[in-house]
Amino acid sequence: MRPVAGLFLAAIRAGRGRALPLLVLLVGLLVLSEIERTPLLNVREALFDQYQRQMPRTRTSEPVIVVGIDSQSLVQHGQWPWSRDLVARLVRTIQAGQPLALGIDIVFAERDRYSPEALASHLPGLPPETLTALPDPDHELASALDGHPTALAVIGLSRPLPGSTQPARPLPEFSLANDLEPHLPRYLGALASRPLLEKSAAGEGLINANPAKLQTSSERGVLRRVPTVGTINQLPFLSLPLEMVRLALGGGEVVPESGAQGMTAIRIGDYRLPTQANGEVLLHFGRASSNYYLSAADVLAGVHPPEIFNARFIIIGLNSTGLQDRIVTPLGESLPGIDIHAQVIESLLDGHALQRPAWMTLAEESTLLLGGLLLIATIPVLRPRYAVISFTALSLLLLAGGALAFYAGQWLFDGASQVLLLAPVFILLLGNTLIAADSRRRKAESQLQRSREEAARMAGELDAARRIQMGLLPDPGRIFADETRFSIAALLEPAQAVGGDYYDCFLLDERRLCLAIGDVSGKGVPASLFMAISKTLTGTLTRRQGDLGLAVRDIEQELNRENAECLFVTALIAVLDLVSGDLEYVCAGHDAPILLRDGDLSQIDTSNRGGPPLCAAGDFPYLAERIQLQPGDRLYLFTDGVTEASNGTELFGLSRLQAAILAQAQTELKTASTALRDAVRQFEAGHPPADDLTLLLMQWHGPLSER
Amino acid sequence: MAYLPFDQEPSPYAMMNLPTREQAGVLIVSVSGAQGHPPVLLDFGGVDYISSAGLRVLMMASRRAKAQKGAFAIAALQPLVQEVFAISRFNLIVPCYASVDSACKVLGS
Repeated sequence: MRPVAGLFLAAIRAGRGRALPLLVLLVGLLVLSEIERTPLLNVREALFDQYQRQMPRTRTSEPVIVVGIDSQSLVQHGQWPWSRDLVARLVRTIQAGQPLALGIDIVFAERDRYSPEALASHLPGLPPETLTALPDPDHELASALDGHPTALAVIGLSRPLPGSTQPARPLPEFSLANDLEPHLPRYLGALASRPLLEKSAAGEGLINANPAKLQTSSERGVLRRVPTVGTINQLPFLSLPLEMVRLALGGGEVVPESGAQGMTAIRIGDYRLPTQANGEVLLHFGRASSNYYLSAADVLAGVHPPEIFNARFIIIGLNSTGLQDRIVTPLGESLPGIDIHAQVIESLLDGHALQRPAWMTLAEESTLLLGGLLLIATIPVLRPRYAVISFTALSLLLLAGGALAFYAGQWLFDGASQVLLLAPVFILLLGNTLIAADSRRRKAESQLQRSREEAARMAGELDAARRIQMGLLPDPGRIFADETRFSIAALLEPAQAVGGDYYDCFLLDERRLCLAIGDVSGKGVPASLFMAISKTLTGTLTRRQGDLGLAVRDIEQELNRENAECLFVTALIAVLDLVSGDLEYVCAGHDAPILLRDGDLSQIDTSNRGGPPLCAAGDFPYLAERIQLQPGDRLYLFTDGVTEASNGTELFGLSRLQAAILAQAQTELKTASTALRDAVRQFEAGHPPADDLTLLLMQWHGPLSER
Repeated sequence: MAYLPFDQEPSPYAMMNLPTREQAGVLIVSVSGAQGHPPVLLDFGGVDYISSAGLRVLMMASRRAKAQKGAFAIAALQPLVQEVFAISRFNLIVPCYASVDSACKVLGS
């Protein structure tokens, strides 16, 4: 299963996801060009039928009257077929009104049942005088037809049947181009009326609505196309309604127009009807109407004045439920077959039929190809939502284009099939877009996951480094828990996970307390490593070297040994004699400590002997200075993380620090240190600390003996 | 003699390579390529804050100048920067002058 799915995916994604859609598009083109053999034809026919339903042909005038031999006529005049003298009476009644042409949609192939011979064989006892006195109905009809523009029906047969003949009245003037005849319906014989009648009639017309050629197609009983002309043994015949028009024009010339593919239109006199290559008309049906149907019985009874037939085309045909063929139109209406003749005549007089010339197929194939290529070019670069919008817009454009073409000129342009053929192309393209988007999202997710893990790991390591660094710093509250001569509180908060500040406090011996505070240039990991070294060296060398100035020089010398990054350290190292209160200190570029004595603040003077930061100059001869502390004095050592804390516009500064110190002058040291820190943070008001912050507070309570 | 800003008159040492970069809001000028090791003066008139990282750059410039037997100095420090220099005693490492003119008098001689 997996390899198959993989193969399928690879096929979809081939050629940046465009190869398969292109292939599908080509297959679609093939299907479109061979649409007659595919079920897609039903879609096309349904679409075209829909157009007709929405926009049926408007029937403004009624040039045709159908005289129907209907149920009422059969009731009054007996069963069909009627005797031809009755038909002759009907014809005479109609012709009294002088119609343009009369068409009889009935084939009178055999001898009339009431002809004297037929009666003689039927009733052998009849006297010959009676027989000769009897009228011959065939003659009656022939004489009724004679001299009037009347057309008889002919049914073309693709196989010669018993009784099939060659009709006698082909088109007199009709020049078929040699290459045109194979396109037209061809018949080998026909059912036609008796020669006597043919001779009397002015013309004959085919009434085949479904030539054999089309019976294999999927017409599904809906009549959409009607032949205009066909040949019976190479002799041309018009269809009955067209023949009627020709007769009305006094036997006008009939010219077929043809193109490379076959017939394109048929012209009778000044009337022209566009046709398909095989001479068929795509009828644009109008809504059915019973207005122009008259009952033969009424006509025979003289109900209608003869003038009603004047200047009209009249068709006599069968319109009785028991006798007739019914056809279904694209409008979904079931009509008697003779109605088609009426619609054809109306169409010819209006020069109005649906148009689907040979080049329309080419146009459809071109728009399919163009639309498909457009999709293939644009969908892969569009976001899915715009892709869907684009395809919808293209589909609507095709469908609307078809509807517009029908509306404007009854052109049949099939947009629906194209949309259906473009759909798989679009689905493949969109699928590929979605697959690509999905894999991008997954990749981004896994990348995010990885970077999160990386960050977590880094944070873990930094956290470990922070714990180690914090572990380097002594906790004065713990190591001097029992000390009564002094108290110390310290606080260090790096700006980042680790920092470059440090402090230290330890007893050199029983009566000497060493205090140190330092700040490595920069912050973060590089500073923190240098801080660790500085802090360690300070502790070691101050213990070893008796003179504080020399000790600091030693520290600088040691630090300088491995200082490739040229970092430097500001530091203040002080040694307090816990008995005498004598404070010895060396300042290496550090902020001068603040002294709180009896509620007054002062800064310890470092201006005389103070030197640059350790490792800044390289060989500065640091010297110790000293001051005398008094019992109760408080000493505040700090780094620039305090004074240079910023709220975005100002720095915290020395004066704010002094004010904060005074506010906490009486508070216990530990509390005072956190209160100072809080004052700084409050000042920063959410701004991230720019530097590490360190506070080292020491209060000397005086010699042990005095307490 | 070359000092910053150096966009006024072309000096004989205009071929000096002066790539600049910014660090912590400080414009850093790396001076190299000058021949004859002229004294280098930084006009700090436009600098209102300097961090320890900035001090480190000055320190390194000073060392470089010392190694090439040249002179490196700063002039026209603003009060806040002056204070930083005073606390950190960086005036012991990089000579500071009150103004560009006074610096030129000393360095140019």
